[in-house]
Amino acid sequence: MNKGWQLTLILCLIGLFALFYQGLWGDPRHIPTVLIETDAPNFEGPDVETGQTISLDQFKGKVVLLNFWASWCYECKVEHKSILQLHQLFKDNPDFVMLGVNYQDELPDAQKYLKEYGSTFSHVRDLKGQLAIDYGVYGVPETFVIDQQGKIRHKWVGPITGEVYTNITQKVIAPLLNAQPTTTTTS
Amino acid sequence: MSIRLTWCLAALLMIPLPLSAAVQDETDVDIQVREIAKTLRCTVCQTENIWESGAPLAQQMRGVIRDRIALGHSTEEIRAYFLSRYGDYILMEPPKHGVNWLIWVAPFLLLVIGGFFLYKEVTHWVRDTPTPPSQPEPPLDDEARKRIERELKS
Repeated sequence: MNKGWQLTLILCLIGLFALFYQGLWGDPRHIPTVLIETDAPNFEGPDVETGQTISLDQFKGKVVLLNFWASWCYECKVEHKSILQLHQLFKDNPDFVMLGVNYQDELPDAQKYLKEYGSTFSHVRDLKGQLAIDYGVYGVPETFVIDQQGKIRHKWVGPITGEVYTNITQKVIAPLLNAQPTTTTTS
Repeated sequence: MSIRLTWCLAALLMIPLPLSAAVQDETDVDIQVREIAKTLRCTVCQTENIWESGAPLAQQMRGVIRDRIALGHSTEEIRAYFLSRYGDYILMEPPKHGVNWLIWVAPFLLLVIGGFFLYKEVTHWVRDTPTPPSQPEPPLDDEARKRIERELKS
């Protein structure tokens, strides 16, 4: 085998090794979203606490934060305090709305969860899982930020805590409310 | 005796009946749901399709497929809907376009490249291995000849 072939073989092996190495560090559960900058699907469902119908159309022209959660989800409990804090931060802004989406849950369990951990905003029930599938959700918690034009601008898979909280409040929601350019990021 | 035998035979005959009935009861919609669900990956169970998975999300996805078939959507429209929500990841087989071609072609390409290198190496070894010079068989000595004759006679 001449030098050229040997070099080609070595380069191929290095390439394969690099792919393998990258695969080792990647999260196999992470699915890159295809929904950023697309129209947020409309939905309609009953409120977990009051039973009244909530629809996304009601909030046209506002920045909407959608947070998918379930009472059986440990990470949802971890982020709950931050989620309430986030609502507290923006709730006085008339252009901001926060909605919880209760996912794959029993109504009594969801109501008990909200009583126990507190609730300051509305939560829609996703009765047949259609809403979650429309948003490409595959686990909870997942959070979406929808802009005033009804486009999905941000998605985060996992709890909104620490740096993620800072990022979503300062680099996503605040600029959208102030009509500044934002960084459209995903987890 | 004969009554017992009759009962036993009747019991045996009853066993496959529910299974065959279940298969016969499968409607065209069920078949279409199955065919579509088999091509879509369960996003929470890595290697299973949503037909085989027992995960709640997979069950809900099967429900969505059924609802859309009832609304008159075609197989391709339903697949396109899931693709628009989850991207290529949802498909059990990556679509054959763009960089995805690499996934389809790479195994065969590696096989051909590997075969080529193997062929080159083997021919190289064969060419470079010195063949020993052919030598005439040494003649039998008297003692060996006598021993062979003795053993042939015995």
